[in-house]
Amino acid sequence: MVGAFLYLTACSFKNRLRRRLQRLREPRYVIGLVVGLLYFYVAFFRRSGRRHSPADVSAIAAIAAPMQFLGSLFLLGTAVIAWLWPAGRPPLPFTRADVQFLFTAPVTRRQLVHYMLWRSQIAILFGSAIATLVMRPGSLAGGWTLMAGLWVVLMTVRLHLMGVALRRLSLVAHGATGLARQWLPLAVVLGAIGALVASIVNAWPKLSALAGGDEIFSELQRLAGEGAAAVVLWPFRALVRLPAAASAEAFWAALPAALALLALNYVWVLQSDAAFEEASAEHAEQQASRRYAPRAAVRGPGATPFTLAPDGPPETAILWKNLILVGRYLSLRTVVRLLPLIIVFAVIGRNQAAGGVTAAIAAACLPLAALAVLLGPQMMRNDLRQDLARLALLKTWPVRGAAIVRGQVLAPTVVVTAVAWLLLLTAGFLGGGLTQGSREGSAFAAHRVSFLAAGIVLAPAVILSQVVVQNGLAVLFPAWVAVGASRSRGIDAMGQRLLMIAGMLFALAVSLIPGVVAAVAFAFVAYQVTGVILILLPAFIVALAVAGECWLAVEGLGRVLDRTDPSAVEASE
Amino acid sequence: MIDVQHLTKTYGAFTAVDDFSFRVRPGEVVGLIGPNGAGKTSTLRCLVGIQSPSAGTITIGGHDIVQAPVEAKRLLAFMADEPQLFEYLTVMEHLRLTARLYRVRDVEPRAKLLLAELQLTGKEHALPAELSRGMKQKVAIACGLLHEPKAMLFDEPLTGLDPLGIRHMKETIVARGRSGAAVIVSSHLLHLVEEICTRIVIIDHGKKVADATLAELKAHPELAAAGSSLEQIFLAATSGEA
Repeated sequence: MVGAFLYLTACSFKNRLRRRLQRLREPRYVIGLVVGLLYFYVAFFRRSGRRHSPADVSAIAAIAAPMQFLGSLFLLGTAVIAWLWPAGRPPLPFTRADVQFLFTAPVTRRQLVHYMLWRSQIAILFGSAIATLVMRPGSLAGGWTLMAGLWVVLMTVRLHLMGVALRRLSLVAHGATGLARQWLPLAVVLGAIGALVASIVNAWPKLSALAGGDEIFSELQRLAGEGAAAVVLWPFRALVRLPAAASAEAFWAALPAALALLALNYVWVLQSDAAFEEASAEHAEQQASRRYAPRAAVRGPGATPFTLAPDGPPETAILWKNLILVGRYLSLRTVVRLLPLIIVFAVIGRNQAAGGVTAAIAAACLPLAALAVLLGPQMMRNDLRQDLARLALLKTWPVRGAAIVRGQVLAPTVVVTAVAWLLLLTAGFLGGGLTQGSREGSAFAAHRVSFLAAGIVLAPAVILSQVVVQNGLAVLFPAWVAVGASRSRGIDAMGQRLLMIAGMLFALAVSLIPGVVAAVAFAFVAYQVTGVILILLPAFIVALAVAGECWLAVEGLGRVLDRTDPSAVEASE
Repeated sequence: MIDVQHLTKTYGAFTAVDDFSFRVRPGEVVGLIGPNGAGKTSTLRCLVGIQSPSAGTITIGGHDIVQAPVEAKRLLAFMADEPQLFEYLTVMEHLRLTARLYRVRDVEPRAKLLLAELQLTGKEHALPAELSRGMKQKVAIACGLLHEPKAMLFDEPLTGLDPLGIRHMKETIVARGRSGAAVIVSSHLLHLVEEICTRIVIIDHGKKVADATLAELKAHPELAAAGSSLEQIFLAATSGEA
């Protein structure tokens, strides 16, 4: 049976590779491949050829221990979340073809598990190789130890997540009986969480008295190295030690413990009696039907953003539809994913600010607002980047193309603007002590309200222009843009995406030029006449200019959309 | 109501539809049949404005689908063979969205009637993922019927429906024809076409090979020898077999 699985995996890999090579006959993929390779060369190979200076080596050595600590915390967090948070996918995500061929074949569950492990090897090996390139080890020895170490870590994590998901499935299927059967792993997990919480609680008086992030981090590191916390964190540290090994000797020394953990997880997974077939088959069907659907799972129906009146412009209806999408795929999990980013900014902010917790929150909000404005339009894709896959349906609507485009760009603009405004307002209200301590900071604090108002005026304009550009690229170059949930893979596809990002940034810069030129000219004249540096009015000028350009662009894009043939929007692999 | 004149649709060097003309008057239910690759789907996609004709004109209620697409589409409904629903909208939300797009003001009572007619009562708040293939098809059809279109195009309308659903679907199509809508039914199910269509258009290799009632086709000198069923006539018309 192993031979059959190997054959299936090898043939699938070979044919996928062949297909990717065949698509190089199309110029867009050739161009993408050139750009992708160039990126890899510049980003990884060119730099990795350089030798580290003694200063680099000592700097790397200085951060090795904290990085290992953070790595072990990350693995711990991954394991805890896997236990506490229901996974959105089954333990073994088979495809529809797998279900049809393998589930009906005389194959045992254990063999199916082995097949999934085989299949995951290509991705894990590729991921390890890419991560090795990114981290740029100083020598060839460092290269192979890092890659092998990463493989062991990723494989152990994969096995552990698979094991957790299988246990969860068993618990759901068997109820109280399942609880009795799975008592040991549950007890271990709960005991580990309890031990960590107890360590933190015991040390809380000391931790809360510390002033800065550095001191807190050092104390946490010390706490993790002693008592029950050290025992709980040992497996995670043992795993992280392997890719972090500075020499071949250190690698060999760390290998037995890491391999033992890998083997333990492997045996644990194989011992599972969970009947995963039904959940996997259901998931395969859902995946197939959601090929062009939102990437995240759709939750159950809930409240709509507003009541859609039976009469009015079609743009509102499209906005309503796309806002529903946001409400149904955003989940608590999405917010939790952002938490580490918020905490990092808050800790950094607390170090720099003089106003305590409120200033730390304000300090976290400012960069997050900037991120929301700059990255939000790329992440929030509830517009034509989703709906172009249903172009055939959109074209049956009695609505002009321009109205469709206008309606489509509204939802991401509204959502990202709301997030940016919320962050800006929070920063504005809480940021009283944020900028004290320097002359520039005091000057900023004096005009805080003006800067805040200017930010509030500019944010929607910058967001709208990006959303229009993104949708414009989707309409003008549908074959180049990832539509719906489908994503082309490979270096050529990555190169295409890099080109599209470059195109987006260029278009954004061009769209801002007229408004900025007009605003600067206005501010200069106003300064000459009144002697006052205006902030808010120039921001209005930029916003109005961008809004005007967007209106014209949408009209043009609507005409193109009217002429676009749905067959031009091709499905990715 | 539906007037297709000299329609030609090419894809590069390949001609999918070649100088194809036909009319559908109000109250008529026309069956559009042809072998695989005959040009039926291309014709339907041009008719509803999904694709642009390479040549020729298509008018719906006097509105050219290329020159005045919004006005033409307002009279149209297209029920595709593969229902395309928004995964994150419930059944009722699909209907509300459609109502707004087609300017239907009394959506709630109309939706209630349609959902009952299509046996979807109780599924108002269901997401597409919770519906069977046949139910999704019914939702797409409910959306199509909501604005009481004057011209209706059904592409394989019975796909995925259970026997009761099939019977109701046939009744729905016939009722719309009787109420004055111009209906085109494209299907490979010749017994369906034979049963509900008042006229039949046969297309093969992009060209029209027949356009008549079943009685006229049976009486046609070249096809009469093939037999009396539509299947025999169709095979004779498209491949010379009987």
